[in-house]
Amino acid sequence: MDEAALIRAAQTGDHDAFERLVRSYDQSVLKLSMNLLRSPDDAQDVYQEAFLRVYRNINSFRFDCSFHTWLYRIVTNLCLDQLRKRKVRKTEPSTVETPEGTVDRLETTPEYRPHSDPQRSLLSTEIKRKIEDTLSQMSARERMVFEMRHYQGMRLRAIGEILGTSEEAAKNCLFRATQKMRTALGDLL
Amino acid sequence: MNCEDARQFMLLAGFGELSFEEEEALELHLASCPECQAAHARNASLESLLAQAELEPPAGLLARCRRDLAVRIGEESAPRRRFSIDRVWNRWIVHPPMWLRPVGALAMLAAGFFAARIMPESPMLARFTGGASEPASIARVRLVHAAGPGQVRVQYDEIRQRELTGSLQDDQIRSMLISAAADPSDPGLRVDTMDLLKNHCERDEVRQVLLQALQNDPNSGVRLKALDGLKAYAREPETRQALAEVVQRDDNPGVRVQAIDLLLQNRSEPEVVGLLQELMRREENNYIRSRSQKALREMKASVDTF
Repeated sequence: MDEAALIRAAQTGDHDAFERLVRSYDQSVLKLSMNLLRSPDDAQDVYQEAFLRVYRNINSFRFDCSFHTWLYRIVTNLCLDQLRKRKVRKTEPSTVETPEGTVDRLETTPEYRPHSDPQRSLLSTEIKRKIEDTLSQMSARERMVFEMRHYQGMRLRAIGEILGTSEEAAKNCLFRATQKMRTALGDLL
Repeated sequence: MNCEDARQFMLLAGFGELSFEEEEALELHLASCPECQAAHARNASLESLLAQAELEPPAGLLARCRRDLAVRIGEESAPRRRFSIDRVWNRWIVHPPMWLRPVGALAMLAAGFFAARIMPESPMLARFTGGASEPASIARVRLVHAAGPGQVRVQYDEIRQRELTGSLQDDQIRSMLISAAADPSDPGLRVDTMDLLKNHCERDEVRQVLLQALQNDPNSGVRLKALDGLKAYAREPETRQALAEVVQRDDNPGVRVQAIDLLLQNRSEPEVVGLLQELMRREENNYIRSRSQKALREMKASVDTF
């Protein structure tokens, strides 16, 4: 069954079809939320809320845009809300308390934990910290465009559609974000 | 094209967002401007650094999300009833809310603790555990149902942590590392494992693991570690074949650049020229294309395939 048929079946209340739709997108939705929000709990909240909204509103989907664009609009709006709330609450501290003492927040993330070579490990931690700091200093929209382009590999046109803006505006946003990142990592490039 | 335009185009070129004409104009500019060439190389390094900060969702998160979503959707689609034992059973026992789960797990641990105090120790179990292992934790409650008056039967999985220390010459240690290298749930673990295995490529089984990771691991950090370990074997046909695959198929430009570097260490091999010419034709990343072009010129080979 192709995607349009799955959507139509889901619109008639077919739960299996809805589940198949969810499963074709949910890994990338979770990965995007995880990279944008850098918190498994927040990523899980966005996942739940996004697919519940899809479930509640699937009948209003009229095939005016692709399902991918529609879903990602919901996901990015939820992530933007989260990021803006964080800006209001001030940024999260860059360290967290653990049973082993105070450690860098990035050290608690599941990815890339080299420790056999102390110099490389130090460099890797520094790179990650700089990237994390720069991401948190970007505006929510810049961060969104940057993540979708770099980590999700989306085309600028698709990003523009998802964020409800033009390809040109998405491009300008990407330039600004990349320039900030390049400046922050300048001595490492 | 001036340098300012070129800097903007470089970024878009890296993402494959330029038209043919724009890409040609950029190429022409790069060929005559060493400063922009250097900026272009820095762009490629930026991509490679960014790949290091990419996060993968923790193991089990996707499964949890799916399960909770199914419960929420089940609740939304179920007809509203004022009170139903089935609903209470399902809501509080079979699919309890997230906040209740740690409480349930603690209650089960407490029950296990007190039961262990009351029950006599089984000699067979004591021999099996060696009497010194870490206490088990409950990973998941699989089944609960009434088992007679006042009794509940609970079926659960438990995880017990063990530790093993030894050198990489130890078959058991090596076999565990080889198994960890293929663990799809934890990219960090795979990176660490590659870091240990890469210095023991003299063993055929280890080299096979690295070759496998290089070609198939979804995480670019793991693939880079595998490449690192295979450096000393860049002359071997099997490694060269894997490198050629990576150069043509890997989606990370940083990994592709390193694979090209290794292939170019033995540029006398006959397949190198053909591969570089193919890259000139198909590669979207301008930095890689200019690198291939430079290598072809140094080898006095034609840049085109005609």
